[in-house]
Amino acid sequence: MKRWLTVLALGLLCNAGGHAAGFEARASAPAPALEAQDLKGTPKTLASYRGKVVLLNFWASWCPPCLREMPSMERLRQKMAGRPLEIVAVDSAETAAEVNAYLSKMQLGFPILLDPEGSNTRRWKVFALPTSFLLDAEGKVRYVLTGPTEWDEGEALQLIESMLAELPVQAK
Amino acid sequence: MMLFRILLLSLWACAFGARADLPDYQTFPARGDQLLLWVTSERGRAEPEVQAAENLARQGVEVWSLDLVNAYFLPQLPSSMDRVPQQDLTDWMRTAVASGKQVTVYAVARAAAPVLRAAAELEPALRERLCLLLMYPNLYTVAEPLAEPDYLDLGSLSGLRVKVLQPRRSAATPWLPGLMDHMAQFGASVAYEILENLREGYWARETPTEFEVAESRRMDAMLIRELSSGGCK
Repeated sequence: MKRWLTVLALGLLCNAGGHAAGFEARASAPAPALEAQDLKGTPKTLASYRGKVVLLNFWASWCPPCLREMPSMERLRQKMAGRPLEIVAVDSAETAAEVNAYLSKMQLGFPILLDPEGSNTRRWKVFALPTSFLLDAEGKVRYVLTGPTEWDEGEALQLIESMLAELPVQAK
Repeated sequence: MMLFRILLLSLWACAFGARADLPDYQTFPARGDQLLLWVTSERGRAEPEVQAAENLARQGVEVWSLDLVNAYFLPQLPSSMDRVPQQDLTDWMRTAVASGKQVTVYAVARAAAPVLRAAAELEPALRERLCLLLMYPNLYTVAEPLAEPDYLDLGSLSGLRVKVLQPRRSAATPWLPGLMDHMAQFGASVAYEILENLREGYWARETPTEFEVAESRRMDAMLIRELSSGGCK
């Protein structure tokens, strides 16, 4: 019995350690509006991604931690191909030329949206880059992360999988 | 015996009074009529900042450089700036104004917080003679995603001229209007300038761009321009 309690306690500690990456759970908070254009000038809102789990990432091409986590977001996209997960990266307060200069060096398969005036950055109250939001299929904010992570492994992947598991069977 | 006790008590009282000493700062003397009080960020004084101070002194601008984390043995954290004895800074500014030179205070990042609060403690007539240059000032108390930002209480800044130098490549740039409004609410006369193609702390970056390296070397010219133009002249 004592041995089981020890194992249980250690298990809880590891779990707690896993959350130390900094994901903050939100009680299904309504998401602010997202009104941006992609690099082709097509307007996008959150409604474009309704019914899917969304990883919404605010970044900038001058921000080293943002660029460090980008490859893991691309690996996550490839790993999740065919599943209802949308990765959307909102570039904060830069021009299309600055974003394209970065994309010429890094091939990314997920959509990049532009926020040249920073209006979405302000609406989502983003004060540091990168900041990421995990939204459920109803468009509600479930988790927030300030700072970079490896998106295709560990706690990030676990949280995304748990949110995908909540979807109706036909959507998974 | 009683006399000895009184003597000891007086010595102790004097030692306590001496706590309001001026902070330990580095001087770069010059004969011109401009004096720049340079308060470095919570990361401490970087070599390009020393070189810029030397260059300024060669051009006639005297610099008193204050590294708050070093002067008060504080950890290199933004929160350390909130632990700086404000009275020391107020006395330092008063001493600078008493020199008869035209005084500009240049503070970086979170160091702007104790500098503004110290300026608020000055007599209004002295405060009107000062000009503050704040490089990407951080005045948040709380800045959490999805929540309105909350800023520090600064005290009365009436009559104080403040100019913010904001690197474009900073997460704080979209929030600049709110920051300016906040300082204006306390009575400061505020202005700002965006520094294009630069990041926060561009003079001490691990992987600086070529432009950032070049601008680090031109920091003295940038400050001379600010001292001789607009709000701080």
